[in-house]
Amino acid sequence: MQDAITALINSSDVQGRYLDNASVQKLKSYFESGEMRARTAIAISANATSLVTRAVAQSLMYTDITAPGGNMYTCRRYAACIRDLDYFLRYATYAMLAGDPSILDERILNGLRETYNSLGVPIGATIRAVQAMKDVTTDLVGAEAGKEMGVYFDYIAAGLS
Amino acid sequence: MSIITRAIASADREARYLSSGELQAIRDFYEAGPQRLRIASILSENEPQIVQLGSQRFWQRCPYTPSNSGNPTFRASCMRDQGWYVRLIVYSVIVGDIEPLQRIGVNGAKEMYTSLEIPLRNLVEALRCLKEVALEMMTVEDASEVAPYFDYLIQGMMP
Repeated sequence: MQDAITALINSSDVQGRYLDNASVQKLKSYFESGEMRARTAIAISANATSLVTRAVAQSLMYTDITAPGGNMYTCRRYAACIRDLDYFLRYATYAMLAGDPSILDERILNGLRETYNSLGVPIGATIRAVQAMKDVTTDLVGAEAGKEMGVYFDYIAAGLS
Repeated sequence: MSIITRAIASADREARYLSSGELQAIRDFYEAGPQRLRIASILSENEPQIVQLGSQRFWQRCPYTPSNSGNPTFRASCMRDQGWYVRLIVYSVIVGDIEPLQRIGVNGAKEMYTSLEIPLRNLVEALRCLKEVALEMMTVEDASEVAPYFDYLIQGMMP
């Protein structure tokens, strides 16, 4: 796992160099956005369950997917779906704090698409739910922080498609 | 690993969000970020001078050492390695953790230098000199931020 700082250091070390000006500027703005990141993490962790509930209500609940024959039909499958969305939200929050998406690859995305395909989980619907999560999170934390969280939700969606 | 990745990894092991204590520590870390960058730039801008002055001091204290034997390759590689250690300390100052120094520069270093027939006692002295001249360039406050990384490095090279 990397964060914004260790990512820059690792890439500088490969070249045996100090951090160049562009990297230092990146770190400065990362540190400056720290307060926003910490506040966003607090807001999300306090509202995680309701964010998932609202995201599901917006994107999946009233579609065929929850009806008999759909992939969220039976409570067990419904539960598996909200559990995964819970994970996505938590890992997106970690990545936002770190300012780096590598944890998403390591803990979520590697092999996920293959797993979903083998289980018959529809990728399109999953991506719609991730997008809905982005919307409800932005409603909660505001535009600036929502944009930053959006980077990592988009990263998950891109990794799935 | 910074305090950020450390806190995330431990929260992840328990499948939870970060606690308010962990987030407070991360906030403090963000806040001290510009200061760490400033200290790092003092070290990186003065690296050639630190290495130069450190080497001179070292050769005064340990005149009989490979890098002072008249062999230009030994001399150059000694100074190159000192420059690398300054760079690794800069990385560690920025991350606020010994991890880059440990992973890149300390793990296996004693074995490497021993196999190269570099006397570890002299190497430790060279690093002490490097520390002295680097800290002399800084305010007491900045020096106290940097000194532990040099100490860690010196400790890691002790024969």
